[in-house]
Amino acid sequence: MIKAENVHKSFGKLEVLKGIDMEVHPGEVVVLVGVSGSGKSTFLRCLNFLELTNEGVITIDGKRVNQKKDDLSKVRAEVGMVFQHFNLFPHKTVLENVMEAPIMVKKVAKSKAKTTALEILGKVGLSDKADVYPNKLSGGQKQRVAIARALAMEPKALLFDEPTSALDPELVGEVLQVMKDLADEGMTMVVVTHEMKFAKEVADRVIMLNEGVIIEDADPDTFFNHSTNERTRQFLEMVNV
Amino acid sequence: MPVPELFVTFYEVFMQTYKGFLEAGLLTIEITAIAVVIGTILGIIFALMKISHSKILQTIANLYITLIRGTPLIVQIMFLYFGITSIIVLENFWAGAIALGVHNGAYIAEIFRGSIQGIDRGQREASLALGMNRSQTMRRIVFPQALRRAIPPLGNQFIITLKDSSLVYVIGVSELFGVANRVAASNFKQFETFLVVGLYYLILVLIFTALLKWYENKLDVDK
Repeated sequence: MIKAENVHKSFGKLEVLKGIDMEVHPGEVVVLVGVSGSGKSTFLRCLNFLELTNEGVITIDGKRVNQKKDDLSKVRAEVGMVFQHFNLFPHKTVLENVMEAPIMVKKVAKSKAKTTALEILGKVGLSDKADVYPNKLSGGQKQRVAIARALAMEPKALLFDEPTSALDPELVGEVLQVMKDLADEGMTMVVVTHEMKFAKEVADRVIMLNEGVIIEDADPDTFFNHSTNERTRQFLEMVNV
Repeated sequence: MPVPELFVTFYEVFMQTYKGFLEAGLLTIEITAIAVVIGTILGIIFALMKISHSKILQTIANLYITLIRGTPLIVQIMFLYFGITSIIVLENFWAGAIALGVHNGAYIAEIFRGSIQGIDRGQREASLALGMNRSQTMRRIVFPQALRRAIPPLGNQFIITLKDSSLVYVIGVSELFGVANRVAASNFKQFETFLVVGLYYLILVLIFTALLKWYENKLDVDK
């Protein structure tokens, strides 16, 4: 579904990604972990071309993406993204937030977009908030709207960039539950998170990044219980699991 | 008793002149309105040029803004009036309104540029991540938010325009200040006359401020 080969990314002189190879298969949930500065968020952003790589190839659903020549909007429309700070559109209601991209990008008729949007909002438990503006929502509700907004585009995969890091602790659960439901439905997901419990329970694979390279790629049981990698064990001790 | 005497002459001047001033006030409003429209259109165009990726467009916009901000409005009015009327015949009313509009465009461009660039990066990223292209992102996500943010400084700029419209008296437009000047020259009651005309400007500004506040509140309620 998503394949990254030899991805390099530098910001000025700072090389953040130093050659990353990774493949995500359809229906798989991959959790990316690592200390801050390890490059995990940057890598995730490269998968959606919000950052352009300096070197390497990214293939989405069998199609090698040429960053310079291809219409990146078309590629992005197929891979959804959920951000740490939600980035809901404050001048639009919840419903309008969810309807916007299907209407503008997919040219879906307004009435159909509305029906679909309401359906998806129901799925994330926010039917009653359809006509509310985002500033009236809690953090957890905002993030669920952001997920609904991404889902409305019927993406082939979803990327999550620390979706619960900006939330009050008591609101984390409702967002993780929505993500878990999506995983159960077979959504292909790449998740950058510090929620180790989620990684343990939901991930098919856990990938550990350190200083811009992948140092471990294993199933959760191996990763959390039987890792032989020194760095991984240090990391796990640090995050207390 | 100088104070009651002042009131009396003030009242006299007011009663003798209000008809002329009402007409002049209308002209002031017209010039301001035209200047605001021209200024806003130019402001949008030059703000877009400044945030564009084209070096040429950026340079043109910078040149315009630097020239306008670097020279007095009164010089610009004279320059445009005598510069343009040497090529085409233009009423002094229109020369003044256009000069005021072109002048405002530079300041309004900076207001729009600032409000566009002030929109959080995450808004653009979220829109792009949904598959919207650059122009859709600007049109649907960035501009509506930037416009909201631009309203208070724009209102301020419009008030400045209203007051600056007095400067077109130098090319003989019979707006408020031009009329006041002539009245004062004929009745020799300069103090009272300029007090009266000052009052007219103040009333216009207060009315506009109230309208602006009402509109801002309405926007807040909508959100």
